[in-house]
Amino acid sequence: MKFLYKYGTIIAIVVVISFFSITLDSFFTYANFSDILRSISIVTLVAIGITFSLIVDGFDLSVGSTVSLATIASASALVLHRQELFVALIVPLLLGVLVGLLNAFLIIRLRLPDLLATLAVMYIINGVQLTYTKGFSIYNDMPLPEGGTAPGKFIPSFLFIGQGELFSIPFSVLLMLFVVVCAHLFLTYTKFGRLFYMTGENREAARLTGIPVDRYRTIAYMISGLFAALAGIVLASRIGTGQVSAGASLLMDGVAAAFIGFSVFGAGKPNVIGTLLGSILIGVLLNGLTMMNVPYYAQDIIKGMILIFALALSHIVKK
Amino acid sequence: MKQIVHSFGDVTVLNGVNFHVQPGEVHALLGMNGAGKSTLMNILAGHLQATSGAIDIDGRSYTFSSPRDAKRAGIGHVVQEVDAALFPALSVYENVLAEQIVEQPNMLFSKMNKRAFVLQLLERVGLAHVSPDALVQTCSLHEKQLILLARVLSSSARYIILDEPTASLSEEETKRLFAMIEQLKAQGVSFIYISHKLHEVKRICDRMTILRDGTVVYEGDVSLPTEEIVRHMVGRQPETRNTFAREKSEETIFEVKQLYIPKTKTTVDLAVRRGEIVGIAGIVGAGKTELAESIIAHVNTTGERIVRGKKQTWTSPKDAIEAGVCLIPEERRKQGLFMNETVEKNLTVRLLSNISKWQWINKRRERTIATSLISSLHIRPSSPTALAKNLSGGNQQKVVIGKWLQTNSDVFLFDEPTKGIDVHAKEEVFSIIRSLAEEGKAIIYFTSEFQELLRIAHTIYVMVDGRFIKKIDAQEATYEQLVHDTTGGDMR
Repeated sequence: MKFLYKYGTIIAIVVVISFFSITLDSFFTYANFSDILRSISIVTLVAIGITFSLIVDGFDLSVGSTVSLATIASASALVLHRQELFVALIVPLLLGVLVGLLNAFLIIRLRLPDLLATLAVMYIINGVQLTYTKGFSIYNDMPLPEGGTAPGKFIPSFLFIGQGELFSIPFSVLLMLFVVVCAHLFLTYTKFGRLFYMTGENREAARLTGIPVDRYRTIAYMISGLFAALAGIVLASRIGTGQVSAGASLLMDGVAAAFIGFSVFGAGKPNVIGTLLGSILIGVLLNGLTMMNVPYYAQDIIKGMILIFALALSHIVKK
Repeated sequence: MKQIVHSFGDVTVLNGVNFHVQPGEVHALLGMNGAGKSTLMNILAGHLQATSGAIDIDGRSYTFSSPRDAKRAGIGHVVQEVDAALFPALSVYENVLAEQIVEQPNMLFSKMNKRAFVLQLLERVGLAHVSPDALVQTCSLHEKQLILLARVLSSSARYIILDEPTASLSEEETKRLFAMIEQLKAQGVSFIYISHKLHEVKRICDRMTILRDGTVVYEGDVSLPTEEIVRHMVGRQPETRNTFAREKSEETIFEVKQLYIPKTKTTVDLAVRRGEIVGIAGIVGAGKTELAESIIAHVNTTGERIVRGKKQTWTSPKDAIEAGVCLIPEERRKQGLFMNETVEKNLTVRLLSNISKWQWINKRRERTIATSLISSLHIRPSSPTALAKNLSGGNQQKVVIGKWLQTNSDVFLFDEPTKGIDVHAKEEVFSIIRSLAEEGKAIIYFTSEFQELLRIAHTIYVMVDGRFIKKIDAQEATYEQLVHDTTGGDMR
């Protein structure tokens, strides 16, 4: 049981890849793997944000709608306002941090339960992006209600984030790896990271030890929002449009990845490497299922079951 | 209750106890912590089953296998933590009738048909002014206690256990409670009154039984002089005077003035000198933990704190720690340790700034510090990577203390540091505290184990109901005197 707990995720990834490779001809190809990695990169960014909120013993349900908001924000900056790359990046990132601050305010100052507070924020943010776009996606040369077409377009430098390649590796994958490595080093080897974990492990003991727990919790929610926004930028760049509610499905994927990650190598707590493996497992599985013509709505059933399995496994081992 | 024997494993906590309560009397059950009072009452209330012995009530013999059996036989239990027994979001009516609702055979529950009954019960316990429709969460602690009493009366209990009923009551509320007890007594209800407050026992009780180490050492009238009662409770204590040099400097290093304790709504003044061990003696519920948490600013409070002559404003424990004042809390698992982290990480959590550069932790230096702390404190297992939750209580306590040893802390607050640890670990904790004092640190030691203060303290403050009622030089203090003072023996 212990062994299954520690290495279960890795075994599952290997099994799933071998299974799809044998049954599907087009699965084990460079093109497909590159595609899988691109989609994983977005989920991983979201999941790392969730991991931060889990580390401080919190929870952030608003990440999915923050992704959508960021997607719309960068699309709007480029297409509707004809802004340069810098603005198209900084506006969504700032919005993400603001959402994190709002969550932190509700949870830490007003002492609302984290699940409910972020659930409410999730709906608010989702409503905001729908209201702003009146429910329509933002795309190149889109007609404007006041006549004419949109002045700007998705500029190549922006599209490079989600579609470009460096040394024949997708740029978004490199970005994800960079973020994973940084977050991992930060959490494992720095004082900040250590105190994040201490805050989540035992808040009262942390406070009595002189750790400014409220500050760390606030920062964790801000990081969660920031990474969700980054994921939104990559998503917008990858599909080349600002699609409404594009991030909705990423919440479940991210949560599942982060919880699967608990168990990896027996860590027993949220960790970035585990989260990465969790999102690889989900990414591979979803890709294979799609290729086997399992409809996307049925895939939700499988995602839910994976999450339950991951939760049950970590719960049993804890006892 | 006749010849009650009870053992937990190999440990016999009740050794053939005979306990008699007459109808219509208030009977005090006295004894120090660990004398067996709670065990005896848990047996009477059906929470525990005695290893042997019999319970006779009004001429009938009973064996209780559950609290329900005890209730049916007429035993009522008003627990000390009333909130644990009430449903805050339900009405007074439903709370009073909780047992009836559980017991009634049909599923439907009519609010109206028992209204008169509830009103009568509320009147009996002096809550005629409280509406049965009010929610319990809006009631005061005193009212909640009486609601619980009304519930107990609803099942026509004739023997009611009151466990430390006045622990959190004001003087006025205590008076009202006593009036209530007198009234019910006149109606033929008996009470078993458990308290550490001897002056109250003398005021309200008719007779008393004193337990010591699981044996009845006295049964009879409450008019016994307080000194005699204390002597019965304490027994013959080995003279454990401390032998170490009681040197302390004249320099006051830390002082609080008019520090407000929110829980007890009182203020205290306290000063410690360099190298001094100040003991705060008080029974459970005297407000020691609340004082410690107020000093360290873990709770919101007001008052002056002066460190080395400088006035300070603290809004969180972080400020206190930066000024050199730290707390080793009472609940070490809940408040002191990161249970799922390693011993090493627990020990170095305050030292991370010293061992990291640009936030980056130097793991080799961390290991060096952890190993040296582990060996100097004799922490077992001696592996720095052992998880804190896998250590014994005594070793966990050493980890909690060890966290502060290499910091710049000058003032150490120890809240019940020997709670739940074995004799050997206790000695080790004492020697750590002594060597801290010898190094010139100041110690404030909060405890309800008074023998410990006689061994290590220089000065002892006696705390009762959130106030210091006395300051004694430890050389002149005796155990009997401390028991007498902390139980409010001098109070009228």
